[in-house]
Amino acid sequence: MSDVFFGAETGNGRVLVTDDEPDVRKLVRMVLTKAGYDVVEAEDGAKAIEVLNTGENRLMLDVIICDIRMPKVNGMEAIAYFRKEYPRVPLIVLTGFPDTDMATSLLRQGVTDYLVKPVEAEKLRASVAKAMEMRELSRL
Amino acid sequence: MTGGSPPCTTVAILGGGKGGTALLDLLSRLPGVRVAGVADKDPTAPALRHARDQDIPATDNALDLIANHGINLIIDVTGDPGMAGFIEKHKGPEVEVLGGAAARLLWNLIQRESQLQAQLFQSEKLAGIGSFAAGIAHDINNPLHLILGYAETILEERDVSTIHAHTQEIIHAVHRISPICKDLTQYARRTSEGRLVDVDLNSKLEEALKIARYATVLQDLSVIKDYTTQATIKGKPEELLHAFVNLITNAIQAMEGNGTLKLTTRCQDGLVAVSVADSGCGIPRERLEQIFEPFFTTKAPGKGTGLGLYNVRSIMSRHRGKISVESEVGRGTTFRLQFPQAHVQT
Repeated sequence: MSDVFFGAETGNGRVLVTDDEPDVRKLVRMVLTKAGYDVVEAEDGAKAIEVLNTGENRLMLDVIICDIRMPKVNGMEAIAYFRKEYPRVPLIVLTGFPDTDMATSLLRQGVTDYLVKPVEAEKLRASVAKAMEMRELSRL
Repeated sequence: MTGGSPPCTTVAILGGGKGGTALLDLLSRLPGVRVAGVADKDPTAPALRHARDQDIPATDNALDLIANHGINLIIDVTGDPGMAGFIEKHKGPEVEVLGGAAARLLWNLIQRESQLQAQLFQSEKLAGIGSFAAGIAHDINNPLHLILGYAETILEERDVSTIHAHTQEIIHAVHRISPICKDLTQYARRTSEGRLVDVDLNSKLEEALKIARYATVLQDLSVIKDYTTQATIKGKPEELLHAFVNLITNAIQAMEGNGTLKLTTRCQDGLVAVSVADSGCGIPRERLEQIFEPFFTTKAPGKGTGLGLYNVRSIMSRHRGKISVESEVGRGTTFRLQFPQAHVQT
């Protein structure tokens, strides 16, 4: 499967934001759009997988941001799916759930960053920027 | 599951003050003991009220009680030096009497026991809240994230109407956090000492569900509610909340946050029945007898006190209720509670 870095065409890249709270998605969209990223949303793990597999997203998603505590396909299962099916797409966990054991385990599974809410806009942008760099490198 | 051999000690309590109240409280919970009645010459004595609340005969005529044929023990905590003679004169020949220094010693032991039990009861409740910590943190951190994000955005914003809109979001987020703190601090409070009041069990179940939800990280729980009207009993709201939180938390943990929880209330023949059913791992038949025992737990060390169900059972007996359990390994568990219905004013 050809692996396109969407960022190369549109500027800074496309980010999938997965969180069951619409207010959180709205805020994260605002923060990332200001930094020039293109944002796609999903309200739970099932929807995130659907979005990932749809049309241009399939090849053009650069970074996934995901919460753990979500209904339907919960975050943990979704994360396992992403790591397996889209290993080159960096994954940032953004969660209100402060569990260092879980953080360590996820980081070992290849998750790029584990951010515990509340997170400053700068920190989130820096984490996404770092993930975008990894994404670009993964193509080389 | 409940019931047992008939009580072997039937007690009459003389004296309705602090001593009588403490005795009534503890003795009425002891298996093998039945309180036949409480007497005090002062009809407003506190123990008489407590007795009536529990449908135990209360009288201001000690003679009625002393001469009662059904009793085999009289405990005299009146502090009246003439009472010993009066009792001797009127009691049945087989009836034993505990009075004077012996009764005072008993009272002191009971007070201590009662304090320790209350402490343990409160400790179990607070330990339970500890297990909700991560869930609570999650629910508070999400609104905090919104507050931080909008505040940061306001710092960079010049347009007044946008600033106003962001400020509204901050206020909205604050309103999301305050009920969490309120619910928890209310739950953590000690049981009030007051009288029994009318409690609507449907709304208690709803309150308990709000708190017990923190026991799960995952959100794959579906809840079915099947409530009837008039599910009202006389009781202590905090204790009933505590019992329901324990049962619902156990159910959620048995399902590992994933499955179906069913809450039901029904009224029939002057009784209110409540059931809490889960689709979790179930309890093996040989364990069913043990689950109500103090310090019995199947959880890892540090994860459970083993007192949750023991306390639920104490709460049930203080409310003159019954509790039973059915379970099938791999299918789920149902706890059934039964209370006498309050006579609601119409």
